[in-house]
Amino acid sequence: MVETLLLLQQIINGLLFGGQLALVAIGLTLIWGVTRILNFAHGAMFMLGGYAGFFAYEFTGSLLVAIPVAALALFVIGVGTEVLVVRQLRDRDNTEIAAIIGTFAIAVIAENLMRYLYQTDRRSIPTLTTGIWQFDQIILIKEQVLMFTLALVSLGVLFAVIRYTKLGMAMRAVAQDTDTARLMGIRSDRIYALTFGVSAALAGLAGVLLSNTYSIYPGVGWRPFLFAFIVVIIGGLGSVRGTLLAALFIGVFRSLSLTFISSQQAEMLLFLVMIAILIVRPTGIGGVIDS
Amino acid sequence: MSTVDDIKLALRRSRKQAEEDLFTPRGILLFLGVVATLLVPLFAGPYLQGVVLQMYIFFLAVASWNFIAGYFGMFSFTHAALFGIGGYATAVSALELGVNPIVAIVIGGVAGGLFSLPITIPALRLGGSYLAMVTLAYAEIIHLAAISFRDITGGPTGLTGFTAMFGGSRFQFFYFTVAVVGLFLAVQYVLTVSRFGLIARAIRESEDAAQMLGNNTYRHKLAGFFVGSALAGVAGGLQVYNVLIISPQMLQINQMIRFMAMTVIGGIGIFSGPIVGVVAVLGLSELLRGFTSIRLLIWGFLLLIIILFAPNGIMGSSVQSDLLKEQANTVRNALRGDSK
Repeated sequence: MVETLLLLQQIINGLLFGGQLALVAIGLTLIWGVTRILNFAHGAMFMLGGYAGFFAYEFTGSLLVAIPVAALALFVIGVGTEVLVVRQLRDRDNTEIAAIIGTFAIAVIAENLMRYLYQTDRRSIPTLTTGIWQFDQIILIKEQVLMFTLALVSLGVLFAVIRYTKLGMAMRAVAQDTDTARLMGIRSDRIYALTFGVSAALAGLAGVLLSNTYSIYPGVGWRPFLFAFIVVIIGGLGSVRGTLLAALFIGVFRSLSLTFISSQQAEMLLFLVMIAILIVRPTGIGGVIDS
Repeated sequence: MSTVDDIKLALRRSRKQAEEDLFTPRGILLFLGVVATLLVPLFAGPYLQGVVLQMYIFFLAVASWNFIAGYFGMFSFTHAALFGIGGYATAVSALELGVNPIVAIVIGGVAGGLFSLPITIPALRLGGSYLAMVTLAYAEIIHLAAISFRDITGGPTGLTGFTAMFGGSRFQFFYFTVAVVGLFLAVQYVLTVSRFGLIARAIRESEDAAQMLGNNTYRHKLAGFFVGSALAGVAGGLQVYNVLIISPQMLQINQMIRFMAMTVIGGIGIFSGPIVGVVAVLGLSELLRGFTSIRLLIWGFLLLIIILFAPNGIMGSSVQSDLLKEQANTVRNALRGDSK
């Protein structure tokens, strides 16, 4: 009986973690889906989001202000990245490789600039709430539930925008066929820039919301970034729903395996699962759900 | 055609190409540069000798990444990790099994190649961006494994205590390294000039077209990735005997950033690109010794500037002038023909 309860607890923890992971991964998949570019600076955006939230909190003293400020700041940085760097690489013969190098360079610059300015000190933001809910032997940390809810709400807004607004329709059109979309009067350049902005804002939001799990330091982005990789590969690059499902699956898988093995071994195991899925279904599970 | 004929043809073609390449202004400069480095141990102090030795090891490591990424267009982020795997394999076989250092370095090369297979077999059927993601994840897994399998790798502090080659003679080790690196660079040169290299470039430009012409592109990519990774493993083995310590730091992402910056700055997809890139980046970082904290920052900016404004790097940035020269030559020849 205790065993089952422990497993249930781990599944709940995993779902909570997975919801937050989805926030990072969706941004990655969104950019790929719309612009066919893999943003290697996504982890750096996560890190910058944490710092933006931290400074906003220092300045205003309110977390409710800091969280949207971080998302907004990263939106601006995302648009800037697209306009100043990625757009310049778009019409090359080897856009794919040029974009990988360009965005990777941005990640290196961002990380080392922060390291130069603020050293490697770990910073943190206080939590919104404290305390727990307890049902029988299952414990829910209020803060985590709140963060999970915030993540889900943001993703819900994103889904609604993609599905029901003109902007979302334009994004889907550009994703399907850029040339035809442009003939229909959609300014694809603007859509690209907006997509980058939204994606960076999501990464930044995740950076603030997860700052209690990961804390804030210049190299913080790599780990969630790698998790996001595994999520989008399993979920299918470019598929929003597949990514969401994969994120929840990986969250649960990780926390279940954590009860038996160390976290490093758990990550290696997760990687093996990814390889296995790549062999069986190279397009990930996303294709099934979206079609 | 038999394999022997194939090899003969490849060698003949590479000799012709090498003669052509050598008698360009750039080729002559590069040749003189190589000769100058060979004289370094005779005339310069141990500091400069150490720097040049390090450059040679990086030539092999970076050129082999260029082989994978520049010629085939397979963007591998695992290269630094495989460089480290080669180092670990060399160190472990020298320490635990007591094999001869030269054999240990060969084992390092084989290990580098073999460890590429778990990732290439599933991932090479996918597009370039997928490959980049999967290889970055794999590199992180190797890094984690190097830290957590303490019994084999010595954990975070790594392995030390193997005997130096040639009884600790840096002089002999220098020429040994130059010979090994020279040999494998020559092998790579022959590969890039031969049919194999042509198919590699065809795959980079359009994999579907290359496949339609009857090439098994998957198998070619697998072989190319294996060869490149094996060369990285050899470089890792040499590095272990150069610094006489190996730790997980050697296969971190920072190392990958260095390899990438060197290739891109020198010129990706050009044979001499990595050589020039290594000299430029290592030379610059020796000059910037006082600024260790911002070195990576500078490399990041260099990467960004090069990819934005000179995507072919130092060696490729004046391709236009070559083209002009070629055209001038044809015009001149035509005029000469007229006057006869």
